[in-house]
Order: sequence, then C-alpha cells, then structure tokens
Amino acid sequence: MVRQDLRALLLLIAGFTVWSLAFVVLYGLQAIGCAYGWPNHRWLLIGAYVASLIPLAWLAMGKPVREGEPTTTLSIAAVWANRAALGAGILVFLPVTFVSACI
Amino acid sequence: MSDTPISPIRLHKELERIWMTPPGIGRLSSVNHTVLGKRFMVVALTFFAIGGFLSMLIRAQLATPNSAFIGPEIYNQIFTMHGTVMMFLFAIPMFEGFVIYMLPKMLGARDMAFPRLTAYGFWCYLFGGTILIVAMLLGAAPDSGWFMYTPLSSKPYTPGINADVWLLGITFVEISAVTAAIEIFVSILKMRAPGMSLARMPLMAWYMLVTSGMMIVGFPPLILGSILLELERAFDLPFFDPTRGGDPLLWQHLFWLFGHPEVYIIFLPAAGALSTIIPVFAQRQILGYRAIIAAIVAMGFLSFGLWVHHMFTVGIPHLALAFFSSASALVAIPTAVQIFAWLGTLASGKPKWDVPMLYVFGFFFVFVIGGLTGVMLAMVPFNTQVHDTHFVVAHLHYVLVGGFVFPMLAGIYHWLPHISGRQSLYKLSIPAFWLIFIGFNLTFFLMHLTGLMGMPRRISTYPSNWGWDWLNLLSSFGSFILTMGFCLVLADLVLQFRFGRYFRRDPWQAQTLEWATPTPPPSYNFAAIPRIDERADGLEPAKIGPLLAGGYGYLGFTRNGDQETMGVDMLTGAPEHVIILPRRTYLPLWTALATASFFLAMLFGLYWLAPFGALLTLILFLIWPANIGQTEDEGLIDIGMGEAAPLDVECPNNVAVLANRCALVMNATLFSSLLFGGLFLLVVAPNWEGLVPIDWPVWLSGLAWILSASAAGASWLARQRNLSGQNAGGFLLAAALGHVAALVMLIVLLTAVPNPTDHARQAVMFALLSFSAIHCGLAALLAGHGFWRLTQGYVSARRQTELVLAWLWNGYAAATMIPALGLATLLAWAGGT
Repeated sequence: MVRQDLRALLLLIAGFTVWSLAFVVLYGLQAIGCAYGWPNHRWLLIGAYVASLIPLAWLAMGKPVREGEPTTTLSIAAVWANRAALGAGILVFLPVTFVSACI
Repeated sequence: MSDTPISPIRLHKELERIWMTPPGIGRLSSVNHTVLGKRFMVVALTFFAIGGFLSMLIRAQLATPNSAFIGPEIYNQIFTMHGTVMMFLFAIPMFEGFVIYMLPKMLGARDMAFPRLTAYGFWCYLFGGTILIVAMLLGAAPDSGWFMYTPLSSKPYTPGINADVWLLGITFVEISAVTAAIEIFVSILKMRAPGMSLARMPLMAWYMLVTSGMMIVGFPPLILGSILLELERAFDLPFFDPTRGGDPLLWQHLFWLFGHPEVYIIFLPAAGALSTIIPVFAQRQILGYRAIIAAIVAMGFLSFGLWVHHMFTVGIPHLALAFFSSASALVAIPTAVQIFAWLGTLASGKPKWDVPMLYVFGFFFVFVIGGLTGVMLAMVPFNTQVHDTHFVVAHLHYVLVGGFVFPMLAGIYHWLPHISGRQSLYKLSIPAFWLIFIGFNLTFFLMHLTGLMGMPRRISTYPSNWGWDWLNLLSSFGSFILTMGFCLVLADLVLQFRFGRYFRRDPWQAQTLEWATPTPPPSYNFAAIPRIDERADGLEPAKIGPLLAGGYGYLGFTRNGDQETMGVDMLTGAPEHVIILPRRTYLPLWTALATASFFLAMLFGLYWLAPFGALLTLILFLIWPANIGQTEDEGLIDIGMGEAAPLDVECPNNVAVLANRCALVMNATLFSSLLFGGLFLLVVAPNWEGLVPIDWPVWLSGLAWILSASAAGASWLARQRNLSGQNAGGFLLAAALGHVAALVMLIVLLTAVPNPTDHARQAVMFALLSFSAIHCGLAALLAGHGFWRLTQGYVSARRQTELVLAWLWNGYAAATMIPALGLATLLAWAGGT
C-alpha cells in the first residue's frame, strides 16, 4: 500500500515536472541558438519538442495502478494531471514548428 | 504520565500549564501557533488599512484632471507603497497567519513543526514592515513602482535610500515567507492526525501543500534579484548596468519568475478556503475532489511558465512570446475546473445563504471577470495594445481582490467565531458586503474603459480633454464607497468580539476537524489527537470534540511537562513518532532583532557593522537547539490507543531532516537563478564583445573542489560510522576542516578576480565564488555542530539527526561548487577565441 501510494504521489507530479524541464530546455535552446546563430536551429527545436512529448505521452497513457492493485484517489488524480501535462506540452510547445524563432 | 485516567478538567489544566503563553511581557516569548497566527493576521490587516489609505490618496489625486493634491514625487512613493504593502505586507502574511492558526487544527496537530521559527518569522515580518512604513512617514519610501524595475531603481536614477528601503525591507519580510513555506510544507506532510493519509486530507491541506511548494521554488529568484540589485547599489557591482555588461532585463526575469507564481501563491490559499466553505453552505461534500487535486498540481506548475507575459513588449522573439502566451491562456483551464467544481457542489447540494456566501458570490462575479481579462491579456497583440494602461490595473485588481480579498472576507465571517467564540449578529454585515461589492466594481470596472481609452498607469495627473474625466471621478467615488464598506466590516468584527452571541461547538455544522476544538481554542488545540478513518472533510466535529476533550485518542495525557504531538508517515498517515516541540522562549525575538541590526546597517551604509549583525544572528541561531534533544535512547513510548512509537529524535525521517531537505531545494533554486543570471548575461547582455580572457588559476579551482568533495565524503563516512555504533567524531572534524580549507581556497580565488565593478563578468564570478565560499562555511559549521552535539551526548546510532544534516549540507556544498566553479571558469575565458 505504501509503495502504491508513493508511486501515485510521484506520478501526480511527474507529468508536469517533465513539462517544466521541457519548457526550460526549449526556451534555453531557442535563446542560445539565436544568440550563436546555430544552423538547423528549427530542426533542433522540433526534435526537442518531439522528444519531450514521448515521456509525457508515456505518463499520460500508462495505467495508474499495477495488476491486482486497487484504484485510489491519488492514482486517478495522477492520471488526470499527467493527461493535462501532455495536453499542455502539445499546445504550449507547438509554436516551435512554425513561429519565427529569433525575430 | 499517569496510569489512572484523569478528569477532562484536570487534563485541560495540565495541558494549558504546559502550552500556554504567559501574560504581560511574557507574551513576547510566545511560540504558540494560535497566538502567532492571530498576530500575523492582525498585523496584516493593519497593513491592509495602511495600503487602503494610500489607495484613497491615489484616487483623490486622480479624481479630477490637473490635480495638485499631491505632487509627482509623493505620488510615486504612494503608488509604490500601495502595491508593496498590499502584496508583501498584507496578502502573503494574511494567508500565512490564517494557515499558521488553522492548519494544525484542521490536520489534528497541536502546533506547527517549528514553533520558534514561526515566532522568528513573525518578528522579521513586523520589523521589516515597520522599516518600510517608517521610511514612508519620513518621506523616504520606495518610489520606483512595486516591481522596482532597473535602471529606474539603480543608483544613478534613484540616488537616495528609497530603493534600498524596498530591497532590504522586503528581503527582511520575505524571511517570514520562506520560513513559513518550509514549515507549512513539513507540517502538512508529517503532522497530521494518525490515519489521515494524503488522500484523506481536507482540500485546504492540498492547496497549502502545493502553495508552500510553490513558495519554496518561487521566492528565491526574488531574493537573489534583491541581493544582486542591492550589491549593485551598495558596491557598484554592475549586474543590471548595460554599459558594463549587465542587463536591466535580468531584473525583470528574476522579479517575474517570482512575481507571476506569486499571484497563484496568493490565490490558491483563498481557493482552499472556498473549497472548505462552499461545501459547508451547500450541505454536501465537495464535488470533484480528485479533479481539484489534479487542477491544483497543474496550476502550481503552469504558473511558473507564464512570467514573460509581464514582459511582452520588451522585444522578445515571437517564439518565446508564443510559449508564454499559450501557457498564460492554458492556466485558465485548471482554474475553471475548480470554479465548475464549486458551482457543481452548490448546484447539487442544498445551499443555505448566509454572510460568507455573499462574499462567495462576490468572488465568483469579480474573479471570473478578472480571469477573462487575464485571457485577453495573454494574447500578445491585445497585451501590446493595453500595456501599462489602466486596463492592466483593472485586471490585476479584479484578480487579486476577487481571488483573495472576497474569499478572505468569506473566510473571516466563516472562521471568526472559531477565534472569538461568538457569532456575528449580522446587523452590519449585509450592507457592508453591498458597499464593498458595488464600490469595488464602480472603482475598477471603469478602469477597463479608461485603459482602453489609453490612460497610462502611474501618471500623477492628466489633462482634461482626453475623455477620462467622468470615468476617473466615478472611479474615485466608487473607491470611497468601497472604503465605507471595509469600515463597516471592521466595525462589525469589533462588535462581534464585544456583543456576539456565544455558541456551542461547530455552529455551521461544518465537517472539518478545526471545529472539534473548543472555541476559542485552547493553546494545545486537542486534549487528545483523534484517529481519522475517513476523508477529513466529512467528519462530525460536534461528536468528535467532546471525546477528544475527555482525553480519548492519541497522547491524551501529559508526560514530563513536554509539548507532545504526533508525527506520521507522509503517505499513509500511520503513527510514526512523537514530536516534542520546543517551549516558549525570547530567543526568536532576540534573533530577529540581531537580524534587524544587519538590515539596518546595510540600509544606512554602515557596511562595517553589517557583518557583526549577521554574526550575532548566526550565534543566536546556534544557541536555539542548545537544550533540545535526548541524551539517551528511549525506544518505543506509549502514545495512547494501545500503541507505541519512538521519539522524533530517534526517527530517521523526522521533521528536522525534511525541513533541511526543503531548505536545500530552496537554496538550489536560488543557486539555479544565479546560474541562469550568469548565462543570461553571457549570452544576451550587451558590451561583452572585446573582453580579454582572465588568467584564471584552474588548478586552484580543482583543489578547492577536491577539498570540498573530501569533506563531503568525510561527513558521509561519519554518518555511516555512527550508524554502525562507532565514534564519528574524527570524520566530522575532518569534514569541518576540509570545508574550512576549501573556503580558504575560494577566498584566494576571489582575489584572482579582477575588479568586480569593472564589468558584469567579474561581478558574476564574484557572486558565484562568494556563494560557494558561504556554503563551505555553512557546511563546516554544520559538521562542527554535529561534533559538538556528539560530545554533548545528543547523538547515537538511533539519534542521528545532526549527522544527517551535516552530510546533507556538506554534500550540497560540494555538489554546487562544480557548476559554480565551472561557470566562473567559463566566464573567465569569455572573450577568447
């Protein structure tokens, strides 16, 4: 029970923690790439965007509990939070695919 | 502890003797959360009155065009102080006070985790706030706006002490915020009634858990920014001076990295109050408990991804604008989840109307308008159009008054009977509400219009031919109606204390644990601590209260005259240990006075005196734990209900360890902000071309780190030896000496940095090396403290707290030295090919 609760608590913040890290990385790549005139800057940003969505999708689609474990308040809240984090990741980072990066 | 049961009256008297605050001058020694929570709220409401008076002056000035009521210099001080007082001296301390008073009662504890820290935080708040108000009375108040933008707040443009008053006064006040953040976080996780798992906590605790987490991460950027700006003003280190490689935008980033989450830090506790009050008046449990938890977590994180929407017009690339614009709009969704949950709770319940519900209605009306204008402002083109106009003033007041003041008033009417033991007679409450509601909307709704018509914020006067005259006059008229409403509320509260009618337990038929205490509550809250076997927002306080008062529950007795409460497992709420809280003492007051001496010395430019103030503060802090702890292993002790648990000092996961981990996270956030600042200047700031690389002794950096890492290793070995029952003293001394040696190396490195006032590169290197040097000193101090406690007999294989703390701080010093020295080296090489 303790292990399940601990896993649910960690899952509750996991999605948005990944989202925050992706936010920092993308914002940093955008700023540094512009400052130093990186070639293929756009593709690098898109690559980072896609890479950030993989763990977010994994967290959002994963089962909240393991086989034989009961569904709990925290595990359900964790699923919803992780799905929200995936949605936030798709929407907030989408502009890297089409918006001018350095102007 | 007695073997025979004692009467409830006698139990009450014995507990009161242990926990009470003495009368007279002895009140200054209080560390009790009920007393200090009330003090926080009274002082915060006093500052609210001062801030409100200042707003009256602003509206009197703007009531008519070409007004000569107050000149621009005084006006600048007044609007700066209005914002500063309302944000830093009212809103944050008000909810801190509420939470300090209420949280232990809601969770089934007898106090917060660190009562002396609560008292120290209160004194810092009082003294820091007093510095700001006295400066205003002397005509030297801050006058650069509540967000202190550089270069306006830099020395050349604000040569007096006005900006220093803000930077030092607010940093002094923020000590209370950071101490409260750690204390709230730890108290929620470790100090609940046994059986109250995380999933059984009332929503207020979830809101405060996330809020305190946000404060732990959100406040350090502001504190760092204030330190850097004060270093620039006092010692000419050019962090924000573009002519010497600094950048004013760095201040904006650091300020708003704090400033935007701050809005949610203020809103979330208010939302927690709403989530507690609405179910009481809807007469059903909250709808969407799990969805609200997910929404709070989402808001907590998303709020850190919005800060640049305060900077849309400073010239940021479109892509960055798009990130922050979409995140700003997105945060409306978790907010809406909560609003729909509250509406759903009301719709599916049997709502009963009473005065708190009037303010809940006011909240819905005002806050939703503020939220919608927030979504408008999240759109970059619209934001650019109304930037720095009164539209923004209207929006922020709709959000902050709607999202904090209306829920606060609902909370006051709901919980004041808990404090006073009396219920309001409601003669004045209803007209007071309508005056506030009408006055507020008249004042601020019209500002949307003046803003859209182009009226800039912060102007002290305006010509009469721009069509703003009537709108401003009506706005000012509305503000006086609003003030009358607040005066009626004040009168109503005073009358409630004087003439309100007494009631028996739980007058609202609420379902949370705070109503199970007697009202007004005794200093120890609960004569016995309950066991919670269901969600803690569906209890029956009227039934539980008498049982607890009779001593039925955990710790329903006294033992050795100690202040005992329960510590639980963070997740399951299973009883884990007995926490013995420190007794009342004047030490927090003396320590806050010593801290004040440091800040005042800095404020008046007595820089030679400031280190003595800091040293005195440190010495007093070291005295705090002098007689706390155990010199023998006690093993399991009786906790009532036929169960036993160890004392906190014998539990490896005690509150002191968790609090220090939180402090390190907070510290790491400050350090990350410093690294961000250094990289930001290196990458973005002007005037970095043509720099000559510095002849940097890399070998000395390496040697400093090897010494620090060795010290950290020694502290780890000390802990391991202690765990296996061997003497750890030698390794602790080695750790202390290792970090002293590393400190010396860093001081030598500091002398290798060319004049830090020449360029921001050297200034950042100076800051990085100073950070590491200070942390080497702290690590040595913690190792030395562990050694001293060991020699005093407070440490054993079971009582290992001091050694865990020594390892944490020594390891942290070594870990942070790597990026600090790495960035310093990178900066030293800047300009090379």
